[in-house]
Amino acid sequence: MERIHVVSSAAKNPSIIRRSFRRTIFFIIAILAIGSTFEPYNQAQLAVVLIYFIGVLSVTILTGISGQISLGQGALMAVGGYTTALLMTNYSISLWIAVPASIVGAGIAGALLGIAAARLSGPYLAGTTLVIALAIPTIANRFMSVFKGDEGLPVDVGYPPSWFTSLFGEPTYEEWQLYVVLPFAAIALFFASNLLLSRTGRMWKSIRDHETAAALAGVNYSRQKIYVFIIASIFAGLAGALYGLRGLVGPSVYPVALSLTLLTAAVLGGIRSIFGAFIGTVIVVFLPDWIDLVLDNFELSEQVSNFMPALISSLLLILTVVINPAGVAGGHHHKHK
Amino acid sequence: MDTFLAALFSGTSRGAIYALVALGLVIVWRGAGVVNFAQMGQAMFSTYIASTLIQNGNSYWVGFFVALFAGAALGALLDVLVMRPLSNKKKTELLSSESMRAAIPVIASLGILGVLQALAGIIWAAEERGFPAPAAQEGFTVAGSVMPFTSFDVFVISIVLITLTMTTIFFKKTGVGLAMRATALNQEVARLSGIRTNFTRTLSWAISGAASSLAGLLITPTSNLSPNTLDLVLIIGFTAAVVGGLDSPAGAVLGGFIVGLVISFVTFYLSPEDVFISILAVLLIVLIVKPRGILGGKDSRRV
Repeated sequence: MERIHVVSSAAKNPSIIRRSFRRTIFFIIAILAIGSTFEPYNQAQLAVVLIYFIGVLSVTILTGISGQISLGQGALMAVGGYTTALLMTNYSISLWIAVPASIVGAGIAGALLGIAAARLSGPYLAGTTLVIALAIPTIANRFMSVFKGDEGLPVDVGYPPSWFTSLFGEPTYEEWQLYVVLPFAAIALFFASNLLLSRTGRMWKSIRDHETAAALAGVNYSRQKIYVFIIASIFAGLAGALYGLRGLVGPSVYPVALSLTLLTAAVLGGIRSIFGAFIGTVIVVFLPDWIDLVLDNFELSEQVSNFMPALISSLLLILTVVINPAGVAGGHHHKHK
Repeated sequence: MDTFLAALFSGTSRGAIYALVALGLVIVWRGAGVVNFAQMGQAMFSTYIASTLIQNGNSYWVGFFVALFAGAALGALLDVLVMRPLSNKKKTELLSSESMRAAIPVIASLGILGVLQALAGIIWAAEERGFPAPAAQEGFTVAGSVMPFTSFDVFVISIVLITLTMTTIFFKKTGVGLAMRATALNQEVARLSGIRTNFTRTLSWAISGAASSLAGLLITPTSNLSPNTLDLVLIIGFTAAVVGGLDSPAGAVLGGFIVGLVISFVTFYLSPEDVFISILAVLLIVLIVKPRGILGGKDSRRV
C-alpha cells in the first residue's frame, strides 16, 4: 500500500523521478567505469561496497529520515539471506527470482518488528533491536534441519548465462559478482532517492522532527513508523540476500557487528543523505586496506594490526558524532539555522 | 527438586550481578539521559586491569579495589571527553529533534565500546583468560550431598546487597545524592537552584562505572575474560533495567533478579540455546504490557 503511495506521489511530480533517474544512471556509469580499472580483489570489494550501500540506505531511511534508531538491521539482512538461500538450495530457483523474493520475507519480518517498535523510541528501541540482532541468528541452531545450524547454507552467484558471455566476453568471478549486485544497488538507489524527495519522505521527516506536531498536522505517526520499518527492512533484506551470495548464509555471516558496521557507515558519511551513505560505505569497506597500506611501513605485531581497523573506525565514529554529527556529506545542513 | 533448587540458587546469584549492571544503566540514564551501551566495555577494561595486577603477584583485593577505582575514573573521563561536549553542543539542525538527540549519544556510546574493545585486544590480546574468585566455587556439602550453592555465590549476593544498600543511602540521605536526584528530575530547574549539573552528571558516570566494574569482577570468574565476553551481560542488564523501569533504581534490582531467574530456569529446564529468545520474549512482553517497566513512572508527552 505504502509503496503504491510512494510511486503515485512521485508520479505527480515528474521532476523527482527525472532527478532520481539521472542520479541512478550516473551511479551505474561511475561504478562500471571505476570497476573496470580495478584488480579482481578490489572488484570484489566494490561488490561488497554496493551490497553494504543497500544496507546502509536502510539505516539512512530508518534513522536519518524517520528518526528511529535500529541496531538490528543485520538480523533483517539474515532474514533476506536465509530466504534466498532456502529458495535456491531447496527449490533450485534462479537467483534473479530468489533475491527479489527475499524482499517479501524481509518485509514481513520488518512489519512484525515495526508493530513492536512503533511504540518504542530512542534507547528503548536501540536496546530492543540489539537483543533482536542477537536472538534471531540463534534460531538457525534451534531448527537445525531447515537452517543447518552454524554450518549454514552455501550459495553463490554462479556463472553468467551464455548470452552474457557471447556479448561481453568471459568475466572473472569477481567481475560477475559485481555485475550481479549492480542492478539491485541501482534499483535501491533509484527507489531511495524517489522516497527521500517525495511527499512520503517529508512526512517521515516530520515524524522525526516532532511526533506530536506531525500528529497535529494529520500524520498518523504510529502507522507511518511501521511503514518506515517495512521499507527499511526491504532494503536490509535485499542487502542480506546479496551478502549471502558471496558464498555462505549462516549465523556467522550476520553477526551483531554487521548491524553496527552499517550504522557506523551511515553516520560517518552523513546519516541524512544518500550520497553520504555511499561515502560512508566506501570508508568502512576500504578502511582496513588503507590502514594495512600505512601499517606496512611500521614493524607492528599482528596483535596490534588486527585491531587497528576496529580502533580507527570507532574513533572516527566518536569524532564524527562529537565534532560534525552531520557526517562527511552533511555539512551544508548547518547553513539552514 | 534438585534441578529446581539449582536453578533457583544460580538464578539468584546471577540475578544479583545483573541487578548491578541494570543499576549502572539506570544511574547514567537518570543522571545524564543516556543509555550507556559502552558500560560493560568499561567493566571489561577495568577487569583486565585487575587481572593484570593479580597475575603480576598482587593480592586479589588490590586488583579488586584498583579495578573499582579505575572503573569510576574511566566513567568520569568518558563523560568529560565525549558525552559532555555532545550535550553542550549548540543545536544544529541535525540535533534539533528529540529523536536524534536520543539517538546520537547511543551512537557515541557504541563508538566508545568499539574503541575500548579494540584497545583491550591490542593491549591484552584477544584470547580468553580466567579470572580468580576470592571464595571457593565448590558447592556446600549438607548431610552428605553437594548443594548447588557455593561460598562464592554467598560472597556475590552479600557484596551486591551491601552495594545496593549503600547506593540507596547515598541517594536518599546525602546532599550530593539529593542534588543528583534533582538533576535527574529536571536539569534546568536543578541548575537554577545552584546545583552544578555538569558535576552531578560526571558523578553519575563515575558511580555507574564503579558499579559495572564490580559486576565485571563478579561475573568473570564463571565466564572467563576476553574483549567481548561482557557484551551479553550488557544485553541482559539492559533487559533487566527495562523490565524494572529505566527510571527506577529499585526497579533495576527487581528486574535483575527476575531476568536472572528466567535465564537460569530456561537454561536448566529447556536449553542454553533458548536463552536469547527467552530474553527477547521477556523484553517484548514487558514493553507491550507495561512499556515503562514494572516500577517505572508514567509516560507523558509535551507539545
